[in-house]
Amino acid sequence: MTLFLQILIVGITTGAIYALIALGYTMVYGIIELINFAHGDIFMIGMFVSISIFGLFGITSSASPPRGFALVGILVVTCLASMLICAVLGVVMERVAYRPLRNAPRLAPLISAIGVSLILENIGALWKGVSFVTFPQIFPQITYNLGPVTISSVNILVLVVSLVLMVVLMWLVNNTRTGRAMRAVAQDREAAALMGVNVDRTIGITFFIGAALAGAAGFIYGLQYGSSVFYIGFQLGLVAFTAAVLGGIGNLAGAMLGGVLIGVIEALASLIPDSNTGSFGLPHGGAAWHEAVIFAILVLILVFRPSGLLGQQTPEKV
Amino acid sequence: MSTSVSSGMLLPTPDTRRLLIKWVVALIVPVVVFTLWSGESIINAVISPATAAGNVPTDPVSLIEAAIFTVVFYIAVLLLAGYLVAADTGRRSIIETWADVLIFAVVPLILIILFGLIIGLALCAIVWPLYILIKNQIRKARHYTPPAPLESLTVIDAEQRAILAGRATAGSFWFALAFAVISLVVDLVYFFSGSLPVILLIWAIVRTIILPVAGYFLGRLAGQIALRRTIPEKGNGNGGNGAHRGKRVASVQQQLEALSTTRVREEAKDLVPNDLPLRSSGAQRFYLILLVAFVLFYPVLDPFLFGSGTDGRLAGYGDAGYYVILALGLNIVVGFAGLLDLGYVAFFAIGSYAWGMIGSTQFGYITGIHVNPQIWPWFFWPMILGAALIAALWGVLLGAPTLRLRGDYLAIVTLGFGEIVPIVFLEMDKYTNGTNGIVGVYSPALPGVDWSSSTPYYYLILALIVLVIFANVRLRDSRLGRAWIAIREDEIAAESSGVNLVRTKLFAFAAGAFFSGIAGAYHAAKLGSVSPDNFSFGDSVIYLAMVVIGGIGSIPGVIVGALAVYAINVLILAQLDSLAANPNNFLYPVHNAIAAVFPGFTFGNIRNLIFGVILVIIMIYRPEGLIPSARRKRELRHAEGDEAVEIGSLDVPPGAPGFEDEVRVE
Repeated sequence: MTLFLQILIVGITTGAIYALIALGYTMVYGIIELINFAHGDIFMIGMFVSISIFGLFGITSSASPPRGFALVGILVVTCLASMLICAVLGVVMERVAYRPLRNAPRLAPLISAIGVSLILENIGALWKGVSFVTFPQIFPQITYNLGPVTISSVNILVLVVSLVLMVVLMWLVNNTRTGRAMRAVAQDREAAALMGVNVDRTIGITFFIGAALAGAAGFIYGLQYGSSVFYIGFQLGLVAFTAAVLGGIGNLAGAMLGGVLIGVIEALASLIPDSNTGSFGLPHGGAAWHEAVIFAILVLILVFRPSGLLGQQTPEKV
Repeated sequence: MSTSVSSGMLLPTPDTRRLLIKWVVALIVPVVVFTLWSGESIINAVISPATAAGNVPTDPVSLIEAAIFTVVFYIAVLLLAGYLVAADTGRRSIIETWADVLIFAVVPLILIILFGLIIGLALCAIVWPLYILIKNQIRKARHYTPPAPLESLTVIDAEQRAILAGRATAGSFWFALAFAVISLVVDLVYFFSGSLPVILLIWAIVRTIILPVAGYFLGRLAGQIALRRTIPEKGNGNGGNGAHRGKRVASVQQQLEALSTTRVREEAKDLVPNDLPLRSSGAQRFYLILLVAFVLFYPVLDPFLFGSGTDGRLAGYGDAGYYVILALGLNIVVGFAGLLDLGYVAFFAIGSYAWGMIGSTQFGYITGIHVNPQIWPWFFWPMILGAALIAALWGVLLGAPTLRLRGDYLAIVTLGFGEIVPIVFLEMDKYTNGTNGIVGVYSPALPGVDWSSSTPYYYLILALIVLVIFANVRLRDSRLGRAWIAIREDEIAAESSGVNLVRTKLFAFAAGAFFSGIAGAYHAAKLGSVSPDNFSFGDSVIYLAMVVIGGIGSIPGVIVGALAVYAINVLILAQLDSLAANPNNFLYPVHNAIAAVFPGFTFGNIRNLIFGVILVIIMIYRPEGLIPSARRKRELRHAEGDEAVEIGSLDVPPGAPGFEDEVRVE
């Protein structure tokens, strides 16, 4: 039971990061019905930007980290800078690779997205090399005991940052003029345009926000795991996209729920024993199979709820 | 076309003379370039094998194949000359035609001679769009309007038919004569400079006599071919619009009248005479003959064309072949049935492992049955079908859960299977040998064939591709294929019209998987090993890119797309570094210049970057793909113009005066 709770905490923390990435997928999908394969790579770029900005502050994995207000300041500045750079990157990407294809056949922007993803990955590899890069662990590692389970300060930071960002996002989408424009464009682009919404700008803002969330996710992922590599964005992006679909693509709350669920499933999957040593389980243990488990559960859920957990069953227009 | 009737072949009318100059010059340049490059050396090797260059094959079988190719090649070119002269209305300017031929035939030839087949074609792919762009700019600047396209719908009477036939004969004859004279002059120069053996001189003289005679008879044949594409007059010379239309005539005309203007233009393009004979379907038939002859005899021709290193090149083309099969298979699911499949690699993996696990010693480990390595490779032939059926079965099993899903939910579930299947193969190491993969997979067996070279694989994949293309075309045109297209266009409408959605979709998955199973078995046998690294999501994405770049739903498009993506990704980008290492290559200074700015620069480092940029550029400039299917082209045009005029709404029938003014809305 203790183990279970402990793993739950790990799962929720990972899930929060997935949720942040999934939000970007789901927002872009909701507004232009495009699976933005390059989104995961923006997350990776966010991580690398954070490492570089730490470097500007003179922080490397070997130097002793600052304390107190200096630490808080550096963390906030790095996170915001990473978000901003990623956001600009997202807007540029939309302008260059997706906007010209807005009225093209449906699969053309998908291939274009794959192209952008390859470009970003290659840039990441050129920038930080093809091997794993360490992410400076400047946040003090303090372990708190909550009854039988322990939770580290980094986990708490991850959870707090993701929660704050999600709350801000929900407020932005539900309570502001821009948010209303986004929802209007998502519902009916032409009608929104007729009502005076600047569609191009609204789509640009959506990419801006989605990419900013990916940048933040990159930053906290680095803090949590301490190392990364250029191709990690694509893999995590796939999982995050799965999370978005699981929750019901186009649905913000769904993306959060899906992200956390996937994180928990992934953590629980590692509990499956190795059948080569025991009588029950999967060969090499559950950890080797976690992606397969995630997708198997996804398939099962979609078979029974074809539009995801919180997605609406839209009646077919005839 | 006010040409007088008989004027004799040797003294053509001024009109015909212009056409003759236009086409003889246009064709003779590329043909002479090809002949000097290697056509001549092929013939010389056939006539006197002893004097052939060292690296070319001189065994009888190769020489016979080479001889067949040359004969087919020159016959097709002579026919083409006659056909083009007959089929041209002569309204397009000579200069424009020559520029077209220069850019689309001579430049590729020269680039291929200089840089090899793949790099040469890749450079062409840069030159051609630029040329078209410049041409369009010039046309725009000169306020050029193409001549009215429907002129050619006029009925050709007996007199004009005779003129057409005469022009075709003259075309082939004059072309053959010009070519014979040029070749003779070149050979005489060689002879007197002492580098031509006497036997080849005799051949040169024989050839000079044969060619014009062949030209005359082939020209008559070309005339017959051209006449088949005219709108013939009905029996008693009563014009085209009389009340007593002949059955056949009426059907061609009525068909054309019933079609939309867009379609009329498309159909008119194929008739004789027309303004752009180079692009008519009659000429395309000759290109197809040339292409088939080239592809069929390629392994023999390669040493003549590109010198040593044939085996490596053939291996590359053999690999490109299974991508063609994969793209064609995926095209059924994505292109015909409109089901976005992001996990197609799963079926390829299943096909590969099917032969990998059965056609190697792994089979012994799994089942405990000892197999005889002399006999077991024979099992490859039934196992091509077996692997395909196993993959198809899994296509149905994995397709079943997706039946209720729509759009991108379907995509993500297929993606899920695409991820699960390789993980299963990776982790079930009791059966699949895990990360190490299966090695020592048997090659196919066939008596008298040495499977250690690439040539048998080249022909094997060629045969498989032909089968798959045939199956694809038949499937597309079948009842099932129409049902696929119906559910792609509108699922609910299709269901209401009696299409069984479950069955149709499952057949689409099964058919798609079936072909990837074939590709998988071939892949395992050719590589001799199966490794789980070959089946990642990235591969699924590449297959999808092939389909979309080629032109979704279009069979020729998908073939071109697969070859293009494979060539860019593997044959060009992967080899830029080795090319740049050669000081004679044009990439050498480029590489040095970049490396001076960025130390340690290699092309390998930016391979994906270049590939990504190419993907984005192709999609932005050609979102419908390189060769879109006719249906999609029409849809897109419809969406753009939204002023598509139906013939029925017009007051003037096509072909009648004034029709053009009414139709020109685009």
